[in-house]
Amino acid sequence: MKNNIIILGAGQAGIYAAREIRQNDSKSNIKILGEENLLPYERPPLSKDFLLDKKKEEDLCFHSSDVLKNENIQFENISITKVDFENKKLFTKNDDVYIYDSLLISTGSENKKLTLNNNLKNDIYYLRNLEEAKKIKELVSNKNKITIIGGGFIGLEIASSLSQLQKKVIVIEIGNQLMGRIIPKQIADLVQNTHIEHGNEIILNKQIEKITKKNGDYEILLNDNSLIETDFIIAGIGSTPTVKLFENTNLKLDNGIVTNQFCETSIKDVYAAGDVSNFYHPLYERNMRLESYQHAQNHGICAGKNIAGVKTEYTSIPWMWSDQFNLNLQLTGICNDFDEIIERGNDINNGVIYFFLKNKIIRGACGLGIAGKIGRDIRITSKLSEKNTIVDKQILSDQNQKLNKLIQK
Amino acid sequence: MSEENWIEVGSTDSIEEEDLIRFDHQDKTFCVYKLTDGFYATDGICTHEAVHLEDGLVMDDEIECPMHQGIFNIKSGEALSPPACEDLKTYPVKVDNNKIFIKID
Repeated sequence: MKNNIIILGAGQAGIYAAREIRQNDSKSNIKILGEENLLPYERPPLSKDFLLDKKKEEDLCFHSSDVLKNENIQFENISITKVDFENKKLFTKNDDVYIYDSLLISTGSENKKLTLNNNLKNDIYYLRNLEEAKKIKELVSNKNKITIIGGGFIGLEIASSLSQLQKKVIVIEIGNQLMGRIIPKQIADLVQNTHIEHGNEIILNKQIEKITKKNGDYEILLNDNSLIETDFIIAGIGSTPTVKLFENTNLKLDNGIVTNQFCETSIKDVYAAGDVSNFYHPLYERNMRLESYQHAQNHGICAGKNIAGVKTEYTSIPWMWSDQFNLNLQLTGICNDFDEIIERGNDINNGVIYFFLKNKIIRGACGLGIAGKIGRDIRITSKLSEKNTIVDKQILSDQNQKLNKLIQK
Repeated sequence: MSEENWIEVGSTDSIEEEDLIRFDHQDKTFCVYKLTDGFYATDGICTHEAVHLEDGLVMDDEIECPMHQGIFNIKSGEALSPPACEDLKTYPVKVDNNKIFIKID
């Protein structure tokens, strides 16, 4: 049967869903609607290789327009302003109508903004899309002392890039460790040491009281009355799912769009995938929302299968990375639900991994190493946790013993 | 195919099955794999970012980059999973007297 399938949101989840639908359904119309006038592109390089001029705009697209043309996937640069789920219609501000049989919502997430008591909102920069990355890249070129508000992944990756561009960088974090939302303190402290070794200043446990503009520069007053002078401010203080369009509809929302393990929302024929989805994970027996490259891709693929009628449960083990300086940080599974921690390695040159176990089963692991030193072991950990394998702690803690022998085929 | 382009990598027992070793020759790095049906060789650096594949995981006929999990088919070099999108170069391999040789251009 030929259906009209609309994918609302042209990010990674959207493009991978579209291609997966086409793999399983040669007839239906597939249309991706995106708010940026760009084909879906990779975001991880924006804070790293793009700022460092190692990657250009044209290097970022997932697929060329030829690929989409060959697979008969349409892309339209349009903004949807109203949704009528009952009649399966999407509207633009000009009241153009898009009618769907199946809808995938992959609108992603958006940056939280600082709330400031003075009118400096246009003076604070954020990085999520290519346009913002271009603006930051252009403007920092003649700045010297840059302050980053928020010590999460994005803030620290920008701090690393700017340091490599010979800028003086200050990171202000409200919490008592870097990347505190998901990264264990042991690993966060190692990352912090590396930033400091490269000359970045890390300020923890401090809140911003006030930002004042003076002669084109800024003074940031912290809650211990210390004052930071800076000539450019970037904030990375977390994100929220992009759901404003659905707030006054019947779509069930709770930290994003609530979906089951098949990417199905509370409304028939409406699916959600990627950052915007608060999905049920059968292995952890709870809902979760993830913002990562691997999740956007795999969740999009899973949604695509289900939309095409291939009923598929989403069971991917969470995995994410961050690259800062020459370090590669990786996290797999969940690292905040454990009764035992096992350490493997003690030197970032060879890689350091902390395994988080509960009832003798690995729930997650977080590691840090030069380039890809920890990648294989983190990947093996994903496979072990996926199968609830009980492992020998002696092997986990001994870096001389290879973990691939633990994988049961 | 001139004989001098075959470079000795090491002995066949220097690689465990479904594993790899790194081999550096002049200014290039290669990975040599032992799969269930024989030995194979590819470039040693991921096509996505400059990271050594020697730290990656070999599963069946695939090598997964340790940094961002791009996946390549070891036999064909085909990039199978993003962020890898450019194929990995492969090299002919021969075994002679329990020694592995790869043919470098």
